[in-house]
Amino acid sequence: MSDAAVLAAPEDEARWQRLHPATLALAVVALGPKSLNALPAVAALGFTGNWIWIVPAIGAFLLISLLAAWFQWLRFRFLVGDDEVVIESGVFARQHRTIPFDRIQDVSIEQGLVSRALGVAKVGFETGAGGKENNAALNAIALDAAQALRTTIRAHRSGEAVAVAAASAPDAASVQDDRLLFAMEPGRLLTAGLFNFSLAALAVVGAAMQLFDGLLPFDFNIFDPMDWIDIAEDQGLDQWLLAHRWIAGIGAALSLLLIGFASGIATMFFANWNFRLTREPRALRRTRGLTTRTDVALPVRRVQAAILVTGWFRRRFGWHELRLQSLASDGEKERDHQVIPFGKLAEIDPVLDEIAIARPGAEAGWQRSHHIVALGGLIGAVGAAAGGLIAVSFDQPVGWLGPAAGLLIGAGSLFGARFHRWTDLGEQVAIRRGVWKPKTTLLPHASVQSVDLKTDFLLRPLGLATLVFGVPGGSSLAAHEIPAIPVADAQALRTRILAARTRR
Amino acid sequence: MTDTPAAHPTDPFDAEAPGAVEGLHPVDPAYAKVLRVATALNLIPLAIGASVFDALLIRHIEGPYGLITALAWLIAIVTIVSFPSRRVSRWGYKIGEGQLRVARGWLFRTDTIVPFVRVQHIDVGQGPIERWFGLSHLIVHTSGTHNSTVTLPGLSSDLAAAMRERIRRHIQTDFA
Repeated sequence: MSDAAVLAAPEDEARWQRLHPATLALAVVALGPKSLNALPAVAALGFTGNWIWIVPAIGAFLLISLLAAWFQWLRFRFLVGDDEVVIESGVFARQHRTIPFDRIQDVSIEQGLVSRALGVAKVGFETGAGGKENNAALNAIALDAAQALRTTIRAHRSGEAVAVAAASAPDAASVQDDRLLFAMEPGRLLTAGLFNFSLAALAVVGAAMQLFDGLLPFDFNIFDPMDWIDIAEDQGLDQWLLAHRWIAGIGAALSLLLIGFASGIATMFFANWNFRLTREPRALRRTRGLTTRTDVALPVRRVQAAILVTGWFRRRFGWHELRLQSLASDGEKERDHQVIPFGKLAEIDPVLDEIAIARPGAEAGWQRSHHIVALGGLIGAVGAAAGGLIAVSFDQPVGWLGPAAGLLIGAGSLFGARFHRWTDLGEQVAIRRGVWKPKTTLLPHASVQSVDLKTDFLLRPLGLATLVFGVPGGSSLAAHEIPAIPVADAQALRTRILAARTRR
Repeated sequence: MTDTPAAHPTDPFDAEAPGAVEGLHPVDPAYAKVLRVATALNLIPLAIGASVFDALLIRHIEGPYGLITALAWLIAIVTIVSFPSRRVSRWGYKIGEGQLRVARGWLFRTDTIVPFVRVQHIDVGQGPIERWFGLSHLIVHTSGTHNSTVTLPGLSSDLAAAMRERIRRHIQTDFA
């Protein structure tokens, strides 16, 4: 708890800056979700009959929160030096952090809805240090100050790059220009949204309808065919005794479709409005978002793997999605960076070129995993069928769903097992899997940090092994692996991959 | 955690060293004792718990008293006596040209290779039981999300220190 301010040279005193005062406004907005914490206390006051104290209690909570936010704002200051950023924070325990420009991989700028209204932005410094608490952020400073800060840091870095690579003139020239690699027009967004048909949102709407059924001003549940029948009767359509059931059914189905498409289009528009992917000297830069606009830079050198995802249906129209796995994660939820949400292969290839990864051509010799990979699904199928049959034996006809589901799961996993394929392209391995949502992982040999060769009591008698690759970034739950391939192939591939040198 | 120059009991750096199956070196047989003590510390309290449960509950409801106690102690003793040495024999390692190979398990066997250049940092650790038998374990950290740590137990402390020194010389960083 030493006062770190004494470390700063006195002449720097004037250069210290505070966060934008709008940070306080953001803190007020953030109070909304936070105030849930106070709910139990308020409820307790209510239950004990101390109604009179509720308003003062809420007032005190708000006041204390605002005071805390204000103190934090007061005690937070930062300094942009000639070659470093210094951040001091903390009300009681002071933290003094120095980040040299050399160590800042890139600067991300994020604006939520409120931030955009206030003209401020959150600036994140990507340092490459692991862990969330290690990434510093300024929340929030004025948008133009944020952009100026990024320009300063980038200029510092490219100046250094030019100095190092002075000999290679083309390199120095290409440092200057930012090329647009991919953008999404509203038309493309609409197409993508149509393919983004999602029944997940439907479940939410349906649940909400159930929950608020009694609260809605109109007594109508679009998911209930009976309501549609009522409409039909009101319109005097009930004479069509046979037909009106069809009308009801079609009405329900149409509204399902409508909601599915509308939610797909809406999520696509909100997430990817004005999507732009540009090539900068050292990074790929992505800006997108309607309400929350994010501006993320992905240093090219730190891309570890490329993942091509498509769907069984959109694939017939040639639409794919490109994700890049990097050391940093994308925001809080995504483990990899979506760089092309929805595009043709002809648009994806140039982006892959930038990161020196190539898609396997048509002539690539894909090899299949053994059918044993279906085993997990088959065991699940047997379990479902057994559970269902037990239910049937207890006179529950619903139990027949079990064997039916079991058959589907079993057939699905047997069919899906044929699509576990891999091929070695010399510089990188391509791993393909999935029928419903085919996914191709392009993994450069040089990204692999360690290789596991796994066998077990099932694979060993069949002469098979599974290769699991340790790759930086991505999810720890879904490691890149090639399941159930012949041991000799696995050993040869392991040797080839480990022979690769560090990337670039 | 000794930092003394290595006096190799079984020199893994020697290309001609007697290799076990798959060209792997066995870990120190004393590791079986470590595992045995650790297993005993885990299982004996469980067996005592089972005995207490037996004495308090089964006798109370006049069930077959003694059955659970006997079974618990039988399983505990068999596990403590026979399993550790078999588990130890399934561990193997090889510190080859520029890479560390660690293999473990049999029912589910995993054979990991970490090139030295991919190592971020190395730990040599020693728990109280390991200290008793003069052993250490080596932990190699990589930047991969899967296999972010690879542990090799059952090394004599001198050997672990020697391996650490050897790997350390190869560590390099690929970040700007």
